Amino acid sequence: MRTVSSTRRVMRWIGNGLLVVLLVWTLVPFYWMVATSLKKDKEIYGFEATLVPRQPTLANYTRLFATTPFVKYVRNSTIIAVSTTVLSLVFGCLGAYALARLRFPGRRLIARGLVFTYLVPPALLFIPLFAVMSFLRLVDTHQALILAYLSFSVPFCTWLLMGYFRSVPLELEEAALVDGCTRLGSLVRIILPMSLPALAVVAFFSFTQSWNEFLYANVFVNSVEVRTITTGLTLFVVEDVFFWGPMMGASFLSALPPLLLYLIFQRWVVKGLTLGAVKG
Amino acid sequence: MAIRTQPVANPAGVIAVGTTYVQPRRPSRALRREGQLAYALLTPTLLVVLFLVAYPFGAAIYLSVQDKMVGAPGRWVGLANYMELFRDDVFLRTAWNSVVYTVVAVALKFVLGLTMALVLDQERRFNNFFRTLLFVPWAVPVVIVALNWRWIFDDLSGFLNNFLITTHLSSNIISWLSDPGLAMGCVIAVVVWAGTPFYSMTFLAGLQAIPRELYEAAEIDGASIVQQFVHITVPRLRTIFLTTVMLSTIWTATNLQFVLVLTRGGPSSRTEIFPHLAYTTALGARRLGMGAAVSLVFFPLLAVLIFFLTRRMLRQADE
Repeated sequence: MRTVSSTRRVMRWIGNGLLVVLLVWTLVPFYWMVATSLKKDKEIYGFEATLVPRQPTLANYTRLFATTPFVKYVRNSTIIAVSTTVLSLVFGCLGAYALARLRFPGRRLIARGLVFTYLVPPALLFIPLFAVMSFLRLVDTHQALILAYLSFSVPFCTWLLMGYFRSVPLELEEAALVDGCTRLGSLVRIILPMSLPALAVVAFFSFTQSWNEFLYANVFVNSVEVRTITTGLTLFVVEDVFFWGPMMGASFLSALPPLLLYLIFQRWVVKGLTLGAVKG
Repeated sequence: MAIRTQPVANPAGVIAVGTTYVQPRRPSRALRREGQLAYALLTPTLLVVLFLVAYPFGAAIYLSVQDKMVGAPGRWVGLANYMELFRDDVFLRTAWNSVVYTVVAVALKFVLGLTMALVLDQERRFNNFFRTLLFVPWAVPVVIVALNWRWIFDDLSGFLNNFLITTHLSSNIISWLSDPGLAMGCVIAVVVWAGTPFYSMTFLAGLQAIPRELYEAAEIDGASIVQQFVHITVPRLRTIFLTTVMLSTIWTATNLQFVLVLTRGGPSSRTEIFPHLAYTTALGARRLGMGAAVSLVFFPLLAVLIFFLTRRMLRQADE
């Protein structure tokens, strides 16, 4: 028994050592981002550059709000991410209910199609979608990005919600239907109230994915008026010169919404990942 | 899954999870109505799938056999785009780069993710807090990750050179992203940093589902830590391993944001990968047809993965 407990102790120390290494590896980039955003230019560039800000300042942040379209980018990202999320939730709930509870020919085919659609990467679709958006004269509009984001958000939401709806006990719904409740009524009055956590998780995924999206935003939008935060950030580069101070400030601020949502929802994130993507 | 030959007696017509119905020869009116309702509810979803995924996918194939430029009508050129690709040195180098990049990045994420999951599965105070910290890269937008690392790798003022010189580990400046021998390694490091938490999350969920009694029993029988890992942990996680790796391979292979922000494929195509080549061809050189051909060349490989993943995910949803 003594040998067992000593191997245990060794394993624990190896584990703690690895934990420290992993924490450093994970956190140093964040440190550098925040530290840079708090430095004066003198401490950022050249031979006087420091690892720790000597005279921390919020100058980069004031510069960000005063002289760059940062606020505009944030507004655009918010409009697009919220619209995408609301539409995907509505479409997702309706579709998921049909797939989870109704009998109809083609049910399996559609379920299969949804997973397949969700897995087709944007890198394959952005060229023809760009042609579609040009044809519809939607280039440089919010609508272009909302539509484009629906292409990954709706299949994902429908698929995730289908899993959750199936786990709502049938008996509850049967009772309501026998009492004369319509299908839609039972979706709204029974299934949805019981799936509130699921709806929150799906909304979280949909919002973060839209907020973080870059490829479509970069291809379908050019003007400052419509630009989202992810593509706007890359514009802090002027003729190959980076303004790292304000840029790291902007990076930090625009990573905050998904970060905060992650902190709130983290208990469900893993569950969501395992249900929608990696259940098993 | 039980296959029942008779529809379950079910006045409300509610489909039971995990049962397969054998359709009656002539659908009853109630059933037809149910079908109509189902399609009505699915209409928005189907429209999205048809117009925003299926149609563009078909259009990509159609574009790839034309010499279409941005803003000009295309002409049918057959397989000329593909023929041109296979004679192109940059394309061949890109193919090789893409394979190296994907395989190495996925392998490293797997090893690091499993390590992270095993470490977090140990009992320890504040473990939830450490888990939160280690998973944070997952929540940060990829562009921000890439920009941040570009700044870390910066020649003159970046963290790495700054740190190495301050601590006297190196006496001269290293050009991380413009050195032909280092650039790909740097890109992969960033991809691994951002992608590891996805692996650790799914692996940790799998680890925590393994009953502790199995390990206790093995320990009493004298199994070593390594034996326990090989004979209990690995078999129990096999399905999760496979699904995670397949999903991640698709996402890693098709993500162009890291390369776009970090190196733009340079120096001299050393970090050029398929999605980025398609992007520069279609939007930089404005050759939409050729760009579509580039992005489609690697699709057959992905299609195999997508096919198996779809089957697997559907089967799991049915359980």
